[in-house]
Amino acid sequence: MLTGKNIVVTGCLQGIGKATLKTFAENGANVFACAYAANDEFENFCKDLADKNAVKITPIYFDMSDNAAVVAAAKKIQSAKEEIHGLVNIAGINNDALFPMVTYKDLFDTFQVNFFAQIIFSQYIVRLMQRKKTVGSIVFTSSISALDGNRGQTAYGASKAALIGAMKTMALELGEFNIRVNAIAPGVIKSPMTDKLPENILASKIKTMDIPRLGEVAEVAKLYLFLMSDLSSHFTGQVIRIDGGMG
Amino acid sequence: MKNKILSGKNILVTGTARGMGRQMVETFAEMGANVFAHARKFTEQHTDYCKEIADKFDTKIIPVYFELTNADEIKRGIGEIRATKIPVNGLVNNAGITLNALFQMTTMEDVRNQFEVNFFAPFLLTQYIVKLMVRNKSGSIVNISSSAAQDGNSGKSAYGASKAALICMTRCLSEELAVNGIRANAICPGVTETDMVATMPDYAVNLQLESTFLGKFGKVSDIANAAAFLLSDYSSYITGQIIRVDGGVTEYGKRQS
Repeated sequence: MLTGKNIVVTGCLQGIGKATLKTFAENGANVFACAYAANDEFENFCKDLADKNAVKITPIYFDMSDNAAVVAAAKKIQSAKEEIHGLVNIAGINNDALFPMVTYKDLFDTFQVNFFAQIIFSQYIVRLMQRKKTVGSIVFTSSISALDGNRGQTAYGASKAALIGAMKTMALELGEFNIRVNAIAPGVIKSPMTDKLPENILASKIKTMDIPRLGEVAEVAKLYLFLMSDLSSHFTGQVIRIDGGMG
Repeated sequence: MKNKILSGKNILVTGTARGMGRQMVETFAEMGANVFAHARKFTEQHTDYCKEIADKFDTKIIPVYFELTNADEIKRGIGEIRATKIPVNGLVNNAGITLNALFQMTTMEDVRNQFEVNFFAPFLLTQYIVKLMVRNKSGSIVNISSSAAQDGNSGKSAYGASKAALICMTRCLSEELAVNGIRANAICPGVTETDMVATMPDYAVNLQLESTFLGKFGKVSDIANAAAFLLSDYSSYITGQIIRVDGGVTEYGKRQS
């Protein structure tokens, strides 16, 4: 579904990002696979994917808490001189704490990775798209916590809500350049981020779902696949929930 | 060549004589599905189209004809579908009628007609189809609502309300039927290039284009592609959602369409 497209994906080291990288490669995309830090397992994973699917996977490593590193990474992608058709912002962190206990540092760190870094990074990628007049697609990973609220996620939810605000204006401004911008709002997905959650919390969440189970990372990857593909060519400015029916 | 994301699926689409429904028959077939192509009345043009698509993509396209305003007719149509012994994996409630009339000018007969076709018919039809889907413990239902249901536009009180009722039905279905492995979602198209747009005055067309982020109207294929995604296993964790396919519209534009 993505044959011939070059796509940048952040947060590829594990969870949803890793599954998305795999799905994209299987569907014929060349991927700039952005991750926090290099390790052998990830390098091999990328190499295997590239060989098996006859696509190019270029690992890019940077820490999103460091703006200079974010800019350097974007420039590295730029220097590859490829047309960029898509950007999927997945990298994110959560610093869960009840509202009175949220420290300024937690708040700031969460916004740095979940919001500021993503905006700066997206600016560079958008410039590449505009320069080559590419029909592009950008997706942000928000969360149902941004829409519904979730105990302990003041900082996380607010940072993910900020992404929706930015996404709406980006969609408005970039529509005339044929760049689509959307966000997805995953519910509770089985991933390293939710592995930490205690059983009783998970059970109470599942009770509120129409489809009473956690989502799989592969299912989220398929939604990104749709939004990166030409099948969604008239989607822009939307927030799409993938939550098994929680709201 | 499109990916065969619907291969092995049998899908019932209502209202395939024209517009979005007609496009869905082609899009779904191209993606590998067999389609029950519903229309109100038998026409040679429609059966020819079905045959042409079936040959082109090597799938089964089975025309079914029944009036949506008559419960007995719906029952008969479903009987025909059941008699094929082909399990129904997907349903798109696409058939609908539109009405442009200011609130004070809308007769009760108009209102009843809108609800008859846009809401009661899909309600009853879905009941029958769900009975079939429950046996397979799986299925996907896609209801074609409208941006007018969410935005509330001048002249659309009856039409918009009937499409809003469909949204509520979608959310209830999602909750009730998930235990049976059935998902339900709705699509809200914005202004889409169909016969409906042809009736819009020029100033309205320009105003809409100006307030659409992508600067163009949707194509029927945009809606068909979105429906295909929701019918496919690619959306297996998406249920109870109301998805706008509108090219992005400003709040001002939403109020004016």
